[in-house]
Amino acid sequence: MRADQTGDYRREKIWDPVIRLWHWLLVVSVSTGWLLGQFRDFATVEWHIYLGYCTGILVLIRLMWGIFGPVPVRLRTLLPSPSQIMEYTRHFGNRKPSGSPGHNPFGGLSVVIMLVLLAVQVCTGLFSEDDALFASGPLAGWISTGGVLRATAIHHVVATLLLVFVGMHVAAVLYYLLWKRENLIVPMITGWKWIRVIQRDP
Amino acid sequence: MRNILRFSAAIAGLSFLVTAAAGDDPLEDAIKARQGYMQVVKFNAAPLFGMAKGKIEYDAEAAKTYANNLQAAAMMKNGAMWPEGTDNVSYAGKTRTLPEAWTTYPKVAEANQVWIDATGELARVAGDGLDALRSKIGAVGEGCKGCHDDFRAEDF
Ligand code: HEC
Ligand code: HEM
Repeated sequence: MRADQTGDYRREKIWDPVIRLWHWLLVVSVSTGWLLGQFRDFATVEWHIYLGYCTGILVLIRLMWGIFGPVPVRLRTLLPSPSQIMEYTRHFGNRKPSGSPGHNPFGGLSVVIMLVLLAVQVCTGLFSEDDALFASGPLAGWISTGGVLRATAIHHVVATLLLVFVGMHVAAVLYYLLWKRENLIVPMITGWKWIRVIQRDP
Repeated sequence: MRNILRFSAAIAGLSFLVTAAAGDDPLEDAIKARQGYMQVVKFNAAPLFGMAKGKIEYDAEAAKTYANNLQAAAMMKNGAMWPEGTDNVSYAGKTRTLPEAWTTYPKVAEANQVWIDATGELARVAGDGLDALRSKIGAVGEGCKGCHDDFRAEDF
């Protein structure tokens, strides 16, 4: 039998099935969508747009779940207060699992930023155009040429920003795994995570 | 004789005034010319892309004409539309051509050659059915993209 409590930590189910499935679907749709955008060619560019729609639907589901879902995934839980951030920064370098019952303050903040970026990316994508040749968003014909150019330029900048933030997200998970010896990946698959129960100076 | 001289002087003065009033800048004219040229290219390429994607019904005659137009446009000797000093730093808000078109020369000419070859291949087969059109159209699009990625700014 596996012990459900060792020392200061107890195993708890923090991620519900919806958020786990959602997370891995998002990984697939954003990464393939991003690659199909960056390396688009005539034959596959339509799939970039379909995956963009999938991502858009996932973002909407996440907003709903952020309002009606369980506490660890609520938007209000995700947005940390400045004092939480200050407090967390103090032991960020400690070589010890955080035992957070959900996202830590930086994790929560990065989730919100990534969701906003994805929403902007899908919205600008609807108005983007590759000179009407490779592909164009379905609404590009509805606005002025200047507007299309601007939307496309934003779409390109945000694509790069997404790369940066997803990179930071993955780097942080690896930092926790290798330095703080806290595995955050398995909980996002099984839902179970070790939570700190006794609040001592961590 | 006197009248002819007076008349010529008047015409010369008048045309000078008209040009000055219009603020004619030959470099700006060149920018407008190349943008119009690119629009012509776009309007000949767009129906071909539409056919290849199945958004427009394939029409062998039309496809052949558009592809020939495109090839002719690609092969047009148009260096005069890209005079030195008309990059998007000197003419901000008027052009999207990056200084790289001049500073990394002849890379832009090489990119243009790729595009000339692609349009040539397309023009050869565009009238031979939808599958033939589809097999060559991707390379033409790559040609536009290759040049725009390196030599055109995203926004004015
Ligand atoms: C040799 C390089 C090159 C190739 C090949 C090329 N373009 Fe361009 N294109 C440019 C540059 C540079 C500009 C920016 C012109 C400017 O604003 O000065 C431009 C601008 C444009 C514009 C905007 C024109 C405007 O009104 O401002 C369109 C549309 C366009 N290209 C379509 C195409 C299409 C379609 C193809 C392929 C079938 C293509 N181009 C191939 C270099 C190229
Ligand atoms: C979160 C979802 C999305 C991501 C991550 C994404 C990412 C990208 C990337 C990386 C590029 C290439 C940019 C470049 O060449 O520098 C691109 C281009 C493009 N995207 Fe998206 N995109 C998304 C959603 C959408 C949607 C929903 C649409 C349309 C409905 C769309 C339409 C386009 C178009 C038309 C282009 C080509 C424009 C151009 O580069 O000239 N995208 N996208």
